[in-house]
Amino acid sequence: MKFITVNMSNKTIDVGDVPEKYRGLGGRGLTSVMINTEVPPKCDALGPENKLIIAPGLLSGTSLVNTSRISIGAKSPLTGGIKESNAGGTVAAALGRLGITAIIVEGQAQEGDLNILRIDKEGKASLIAAQEYRGMRTYQFVGKILDTYGKKSSVLCIGPAGEYKMPLASIQSSDVDGHPCHAAARGGLGAVMGAKGLKAVVVDQGGNNPDPIADPEAFNEAAKALAKIIKEEFVNVAMMAPLGTAGLVAPVNSMGAFPSYNARKGMLDGWENISGEAMAELIKKRGGNTTHMGCAQCVVHCSNIFVDEKGNYVTGSLEYETIWSMGGMTGIADLDTIARLDFLCDDIGLDTMSTGVAIAVAMDAGYKQFGDGKAAIEMVEEAGKDTAFGRILGNGPAAVGKHFNNPRVPVVKKQSVAAYDPRAMLGNGVTFATTPMGADHTAGNLVGLYLAQQLDPLKPEGQVEASRFLQIAMAAFDATGLCFMASVALLTPEAGEVFMKVLNAKLGTQFGPDDFPGAMGIRVLKAEKEFNRKAGFTKEDDRLPRFYYEEPLPPHNTVFSITDEELDSIFDF
Amino acid sequence: MRVRVKLYGTLSQQFPDYRHSEGIEVEIPDGATVKDLLARLEISESQRALVAMEGRILKADDTMRCGVPVNVLQAIHGG
Repeated sequence: MKFITVNMSNKTIDVGDVPEKYRGLGGRGLTSVMINTEVPPKCDALGPENKLIIAPGLLSGTSLVNTSRISIGAKSPLTGGIKESNAGGTVAAALGRLGITAIIVEGQAQEGDLNILRIDKEGKASLIAAQEYRGMRTYQFVGKILDTYGKKSSVLCIGPAGEYKMPLASIQSSDVDGHPCHAAARGGLGAVMGAKGLKAVVVDQGGNNPDPIADPEAFNEAAKALAKIIKEEFVNVAMMAPLGTAGLVAPVNSMGAFPSYNARKGMLDGWENISGEAMAELIKKRGGNTTHMGCAQCVVHCSNIFVDEKGNYVTGSLEYETIWSMGGMTGIADLDTIARLDFLCDDIGLDTMSTGVAIAVAMDAGYKQFGDGKAAIEMVEEAGKDTAFGRILGNGPAAVGKHFNNPRVPVVKKQSVAAYDPRAMLGNGVTFATTPMGADHTAGNLVGLYLAQQLDPLKPEGQVEASRFLQIAMAAFDATGLCFMASVALLTPEAGEVFMKVLNAKLGTQFGPDDFPGAMGIRVLKAEKEFNRKAGFTKEDDRLPRFYYEEPLPPHNTVFSITDEELDSIFDF
Repeated sequence: MRVRVKLYGTLSQQFPDYRHSEGIEVEIPDGATVKDLLARLEISESQRALVAMEGRILKADDTMRCGVPVNVLQAIHGG
């Protein structure tokens, strides 16, 4: 249980015990509570007062499967509010095995200075000059880092977009193969890292000094049972392993809720060409991998390796949200182009979702035609080269809308919506509007409830309650390091009971369901809402753009019909 | 009546001759329900199949309509 605090202004590193007030927190729980306590809400997100906090989950580094989500938090340069963005890969497990609860990066290096934070297998941290890597894209960079520090290194890094401090800049996370294809993509945390003068965090995976487990015997028994539950969960077996999250393309289009052509339609013409089923067939035919292990200790294998016609690697883990943003929103029904765009964003260090939406807003304004894949690739390349247009794109969909005088900008708090149209899935609109993170699919996604037919996506009744329940649950599970696929498997009462045994055995607590996810999730959300309020947000910021209320979405021709009063009631706790 | 069906998720694995571009044409009695269609396709409850028609997920006792194509999907959660 230790904090590594890195002051970039004077290049000092302090290693200390976790203060009492932060004990029992991990992942998003820790980053959000700390930011609310320690970061001045009105500070410049790209200035020295902001803090970049990197925190593995409470269960990361243990033997429990699927616990390698890393949470990264800061004040967001995109939204101006609090931000937590989490990513898969290997670094959370590596930090957990070293007993590191968080890395706190504060201050700011001098303009032009660039560094790597290296943590060796003994847990010793040091700053290393990184001038030679300035401007380097992430794949080349990680290749060089693995050559220098060994293949068993986990890397979090920024690409050129982060160095340019673009509000769409991501922090890329290396997978088990050493590809920087996972991303803490949302909210511009890569720009915060770039502003601090930090190119990368490199962690040796060979650590063997994890935090003690309160009751090892009980933990091991329950963790073993939980692994079986996660591995055998129906959706994980039938859908996630063979198709990955791309398996959502068919259901969401079939429900008329796939935002297409900058959210002008709820079904993409030619969506069958970019479905999870079509992608799996293409990958198999070309000799790629549809059931790839991307994250440390994963038993679900929702990742994939997309290859070209010659069988060469194009990108890792082509996901539903990227297929939507780069395909649905832009009208590009071609997997090869989408895969190329995914790679480029990972390589330059950009959020694929907001970048795709920014491209769609430009196309919608007539800058280029919908469906023009070549133009989309050129636009992303411009961001990578920091041209004048590239800088506008890298500032996000709202900046692009302003530049082209296009008011149809699908963002909340300047962050793009995700792959579920609020007019055809009302509850996801509630989540997009009200989550403190800006529009975000991971904050409380109701699509599973709709497909389980527990809720009608087109009727207002029950949407606010369902969004509230899921937002609380996600805020809690994001504190554990568990991935979404694992968390969903724990929603049955039996699985939930086993999970409580794991958590209590790890922490030495006596938590019940009221404590987790209930109290934990509410504590995290309260901290996040409080930070945003102090930063100047009001309930008027918890609204969708006007066109969702006014412009019917085909094929249902419905609008977003949840009232402002209902939205404002969501966090009445 | 005849209904054209397209299969998604991993459902097509139990139909060795299935070609997605064409789908399957299924003969079912007039007034047949979603449940009847799935039974005709020998898709069990444990496969968590859903039938979508004209942009909506149908309920188990909704009736099929002659000539209106359907997508048979599998449950999945948000990724």
